[in-house]
Amino acid sequence: MSAARDLLCDTARAVFAEAATAGIAPVEEAGFGLLLVPEEQGGFGGDWGDANAVLQIAGVLAPDLPVAELIAVETLQPAATVSLMAGAMGQALALSIDHVNTRQQFGRPLGKFQAVQQSLAVMACEVRAVEAAASALATRLDALELDAAVADFEIAAAKLRANRAVGVVTAIAHQVHGAIGFTEEYDLHRVTVPLMRWRGAHGNDAYWAQRLGRQVADLGGRSLWETMTARGA
Amino acid sequence: MQGFALYPFDPPGDIAALRADLRAWLAVNQPQDDVVARANCWASFDADFSRALGTAGYVGMTLPARYGGGDHHPLERYVVIEELLAAGAPVGAHWIADRQTGPLILRYGSEEQRERYLPGIAKGELYACIGLSEPGAGSDLAAVRTTARETAEGWRINGQKIWTTGAHFSQIMLALVRTEEGSERNAGLSQLLIDLDTPGITIRPIIDMAGHHDFNEVFFDDVLVPHGALIGERGQGWKQVTAELGLERSGPERYLSSHALLVALIDAAGSDPDPALATLIGELTAEMWTLRQLSMSTAAKLAAGEDPMVEASVVKELGNAFEQEMPRRVQAIVDCAWADDDDLAKLLRALLIASPSFSLRGGTREVIRGIIARGLGLR
Repeated sequence: MSAARDLLCDTARAVFAEAATAGIAPVEEAGFGLLLVPEEQGGFGGDWGDANAVLQIAGVLAPDLPVAELIAVETLQPAATVSLMAGAMGQALALSIDHVNTRQQFGRPLGKFQAVQQSLAVMACEVRAVEAAASALATRLDALELDAAVADFEIAAAKLRANRAVGVVTAIAHQVHGAIGFTEEYDLHRVTVPLMRWRGAHGNDAYWAQRLGRQVADLGGRSLWETMTARGA
Repeated sequence: MQGFALYPFDPPGDIAALRADLRAWLAVNQPQDDVVARANCWASFDADFSRALGTAGYVGMTLPARYGGGDHHPLERYVVIEELLAAGAPVGAHWIADRQTGPLILRYGSEEQRERYLPGIAKGELYACIGLSEPGAGSDLAAVRTTARETAEGWRINGQKIWTTGAHFSQIMLALVRTEEGSERNAGLSQLLIDLDTPGITIRPIIDMAGHHDFNEVFFDDVLVPHGALIGERGQGWKQVTAELGLERSGPERYLSSHALLVALIDAAGSDPDPALATLIGELTAEMWTLRQLSMSTAAKLAAGEDPMVEASVVKELGNAFEQEMPRRVQAIVDCAWADDDDLAKLLRALLIASPSFSLRGGTREVIRGIIARGLGLR
């Protein structure tokens, strides 16, 4: 990761932490609305890789604020939502790991039990898949200079993959947390409830699956592979 | 809070031309008669095809030219492999030699071993099998009991391997054996490169539930191999094997070995599928696209000399789940009888029966999840 993006992420962490209680104003004041605006137009001149990084942080610290809407145009909001979801899922995983390594039952940490380890491994695979989808989508959008229409295949695949991960990720996160994760006081719901909301926003599973499925059916069996390879690497 | 990012997949050379050349070559050289051979095709044996592929320069691609290899970058090989798998080419004969035995001989082998084995591997004529599992050492590989004792004449091997894929058609076995008397668990193990025509070796078939002969039992009864059969460092077998497994787990074969079924499903669906069929095709496509990104990123990391053990395990776990789900989901919505004779039905039947093995071979699901959990900081 570049030094400029590291700096951007440091700023984002500080600003979104403040925004969690203060609302969207600090985010606007810090200029995140100009993240994707070219430098010659007075913007930050960032790419989707930057947006992906910032939105993942927003997904953890300020999931209830309209950050995707502030940063991205309408056609890119499904892609922005994938990044928010990747961030929130990463946080759900981090909270879960921390909890099972700390919480003791039957005389040892929950994380020592194979049943718990296997559950968290399943969850981690889903989280890695969504992070990979967000990252690959960023590479594709940047190669296409943010042309959402041309990147329709990847946007559909990434949003659908993210939607499909929500069930497993939220269920396992809550399961390993036990009752404490179901309280208002504990932070888990701050990411799991937004994940449930985002699954239905900017295209639910049926919407993207049928859209992608029709596109692929139209290509024909062998052309799926040719199309996929022609669209990257 | 800084999310995992993909490692850039950036092979040298003209990749579009590499793909185009290989597709043109396959159009002429890939046998088309047996549709079922296209499913799970890295288990499909075809010596003529392997030899032709070697002659065309698509086997042993990363080996140095002085050993008959192509001097190519690992990611160029990756591209060739994914093309072969997506086409359902029968690569089973040379698969293990090309994927792991060749690279391992290059990395750990003596000059003599390299000169002796690598040219045959690069020609697509020398096949290898891997002697790891034993009756008492399945998932618990460190329980290996087959012994090799050093004598004046060489290594004397006694014991038994099992589930050895391709032992019946391979010329060599790369075996993990206990060379240090009294050693336990993962200490005292070494790797030996064994010519399978050595006296004292008995190979017996084990027929799988599909009726295929893929794996075998291999017995060693006072088998004498030369001192030069040791590969790498004596006593370092465990470390060498673990590194080798990284090559085995994250390749495109973990999500592309059932691709023939997806192709047949899409073709059967036509250009205006009903919502259920469109949904299934969309969901399978999204998963395949995601797996491809993860697999390419892991390959790029491996090529850069890193050790992405956990990521490789994630690819295997998700790839296995994808490939086991696919045939049952296809069967759930496509109306086709078990005995139907069309391509889709034949592929479906073959993959439904093959699919239980996907989360067993190359490390069971439970072992793989354990590796991931350890990577997360649990245990």
